[in-house]
Amino acid sequence: MERGGKPRRVSRRAILKAGALLGGGTLLSGCERVISETTERLGLAIPAHIAVGSSTDIDPVFHLLSRAAYAPWPGDVARVRAQGIENWIDEQLEPESIDDSLCDMRSRRFETISMRPGDCYEFKDEALRNDITRHTLLKAIYSKRQLFEVMVAFWTDHLNINLEKGDCIYLKASDDRDVVRKHALGNFKDLIRASALSPAMLVYLDGKENKREKNTDIPNENYARELLELHTLGVNGGYTQKDVFEAARCLTGWRLHQRGEFAKGSVYFDKTFHDDGEKIVLGKTITAGGGDKDIDALIEIVTAHPSTARYVAGKLVRFFVSDEPPPSLVERVAKVFSAERCEIKPMVRMILTSKEFSENRGNKFKRPFRFIVSSLRLLGADTFAKSGLTEYLSRMGHGPFQYPTPDGYPEEMSPWLGTLLWRWNFALALSFNELDSVTLHLDALRKALTSDREPKVTADLLIRYLCGRTSRASEVAALKAFQQPDKSDPNTAGTETHLNELLGLVIASPAFQRF
Amino acid sequence: MSSLSRRAFLKRLAFATDTARGGRTPHTLVCIFLRGGADTLNMVIPYANDAYYEVRPTLAIAKPGSEGRKASLKLNDFYAFHPVMKALVPFFHDGELAVVQGVGSDNTSGSHFEAQDQVEHGESFGKKLGGGWLGRHLRTRQGGMTPLSAVAIGKSLPEVLRGAPSASALTSVEEVKLTLPRGKSDSVTEALSKLYSTDIDVLGNAGKVTIDLLSKIEKVKRASPRNAGNVTYPETTFGNALREVSKLIKAEVGLEVACVDHDGWDTHFFQGAADGQQASNIEDLSNGLSALYKDIQKYKERVSIVVLTEFGRRIYENSSMGTDHGRGFALFALGGRVNGGRIFGSLPELKEQTNFFLGPSGLAVELDYRSVLSEVVRDLLGNNDIAGVFPNFKPQKIGIFHA
Repeated sequence: MERGGKPRRVSRRAILKAGALLGGGTLLSGCERVISETTERLGLAIPAHIAVGSSTDIDPVFHLLSRAAYAPWPGDVARVRAQGIENWIDEQLEPESIDDSLCDMRSRRFETISMRPGDCYEFKDEALRNDITRHTLLKAIYSKRQLFEVMVAFWTDHLNINLEKGDCIYLKASDDRDVVRKHALGNFKDLIRASALSPAMLVYLDGKENKREKNTDIPNENYARELLELHTLGVNGGYTQKDVFEAARCLTGWRLHQRGEFAKGSVYFDKTFHDDGEKIVLGKTITAGGGDKDIDALIEIVTAHPSTARYVAGKLVRFFVSDEPPPSLVERVAKVFSAERCEIKPMVRMILTSKEFSENRGNKFKRPFRFIVSSLRLLGADTFAKSGLTEYLSRMGHGPFQYPTPDGYPEEMSPWLGTLLWRWNFALALSFNELDSVTLHLDALRKALTSDREPKVTADLLIRYLCGRTSRASEVAALKAFQQPDKSDPNTAGTETHLNELLGLVIASPAFQRF
Repeated sequence: MSSLSRRAFLKRLAFATDTARGGRTPHTLVCIFLRGGADTLNMVIPYANDAYYEVRPTLAIAKPGSEGRKASLKLNDFYAFHPVMKALVPFFHDGELAVVQGVGSDNTSGSHFEAQDQVEHGESFGKKLGGGWLGRHLRTRQGGMTPLSAVAIGKSLPEVLRGAPSASALTSVEEVKLTLPRGKSDSVTEALSKLYSTDIDVLGNAGKVTIDLLSKIEKVKRASPRNAGNVTYPETTFGNALREVSKLIKAEVGLEVACVDHDGWDTHFFQGAADGQQASNIEDLSNGLSALYKDIQKYKERVSIVVLTEFGRRIYENSSMGTDHGRGFALFALGGRVNGGRIFGSLPELKEQTNFFLGPSGLAVELDYRSVLSEVVRDLLGNNDIAGVFPNFKPQKIGIFHA
């Protein structure tokens, strides 16, 4: 169990009480309207006042919440500043200690997410795709366990599985739950072991077809190669083609009950399909006769290899700090990986509290998923993540679980540069409150951001709020036309349009694409 | 800025892009990448080689003239196309389609991602160059760029275009537009232009290219209905992508390079033979190429299509009736300036290489992929700076294209 005793939960009575205050439903379905209003009353609302900083460089708390979370929810910056950065990191590293019942009210409604693989076969592909995609989005937007969700995204790419290959669509929910989410902040070796025998992975990388029935059978190397190349040692990790071949031999015989069989979707070991001879992987001998224990010996060898420590550390540092990971930090994190026997939390803690993390602000490029989620969080959006959102993600080439090849969505900027037009269209639709299935409370936001001292929403104020730093002169000049309200009547529709356009343009601006 | 000067600003933007290449119509290269490592041994069948039938007991394609529709389609006394490549056979016999055999890179990693990157970057194994070979070509050739000089049909820019002065990714011509719910989109476009023009790195440039694209694409949209041909493209992602390429060619907007991906060639498991997984991929490829080529017949002297992959596959099939990663592959070139009707290069010996434990086996690589691409760059795209595009590489002469 996690330390820190019982998690704090919003009591059931509080939820019922908040729900009871509501009137009849209107536009949203009754259930969704109740959830929207209930969660708002219980804390998922825009606070009455948001203190907007005026730091010339990106504010350190804003930076932390941009990288270790999907951007601050309205009011988060002040809250974390009061709590202290280290305390926040400690708390986030124990996700079970954080009450997430408000998010659960939105994200738990997808029944196939909690089903066993076999039961998912009863559902249509479209329903399964809908459930897992919306669940992922809603968790990223509303979960208070933000660091956990960010790590889930990291491992989802690291151990990428495409829903659209073979039967993966029936099996990915269990992979998401029993592999990625179960071990996201746990132990890397356990994660890899779970992934190796995840039904979805056995389908995605053909592991279930890897067999040696006859002496002449040549193993299917697909999974073994990616295990070494992408999941553990990395392509320059010093393994040879013989190691790939030998690793594939270790993994022969793991199979999956097929569609039509009683236990469909469950994994079993068939020793008649296993190559039980001696294997030598990365110079280490696995003696003959190991049977279904070969996999454990193999995972032990590959996860304990020094290249794996460097590769995983390098990837984490790239993810949290910079596309050009500072070597000194990678080295320190790799040491922690080895010393702590593949534990993930100590690595993440080391990265987030490092000098390098604090020094590398605003130098990463938001992938479309983060671009969308960060804008929704900063604006305190109300959404159930329907097609209005998922279509934008898919058009920008970043639909959850849709990446075809096992290397996972790229992290660096250049492959995403072709998505700008879609970001601009998204930003404008969102800021005009015309994005299908998303509602913004722009009046509440305007009230919260303005004060006696700063009575108008200016370009500078929006940039400070949405990008965490004061505006540049060039930004203010570019946006000048949109921040002068009609002098004759400050409440005209024209003024409103200017605020919508101004907000849209800040979200579309280069500064908001970075984090 | 007043509305008058705003209009002038946008006009200037459109004007600048129209004259970038001085009005000369460039040659268009359509570069098709088969992602996943295509088993070209089952596309261009060496039916006269008995070893082929020995190493592929379940996957081999029947000789031409065999019973039924599953027989391969004869090209010459040694080679035949896969039966679903029917649409391409006439182009071969008309001398406009050529195959180059035994092509590949020196990459022995067996990794899709390493091998794709290497082929797209145009580099030697382990010697990283900045950007893709088409990116370097676009930087070293004479003349300016427009956002429609280099286009990738799809959601993202491929590595091969990395480093290009400008390049656009789009899935269709129609979808390229800025949508403002209310108000004037001119002033929003102008503000975006200013925001991105003061941003100094590649992001700023990408913003400028996107704004440029918005004005330039209007010409293609206006031309499209006029030029709609009566050719049928496959109703697939690939077919749709090629239809967009044809619109760009026919609108005469200065398209020089169009990149299209075709996915799903990583056939480790149940590859199939005359039917099945790989056959449906080949059919889609073949019908798509044929449709595009018919559609742009009028322009065929200045359009060339090249099809390549990151590596071929093993000669032997594995225990799950698929093939694992190999080395050499066959490359296709189609166009009015192709010395077609020929198979360049010879078939490497159909036997697993002896260094099986050092690098993935499969067909030996007898011709470096850059030798082929050097001829594309020099003979088709008119760029003589081969050393600039493929540094530290001496191409071998093949003679795939004519003037």
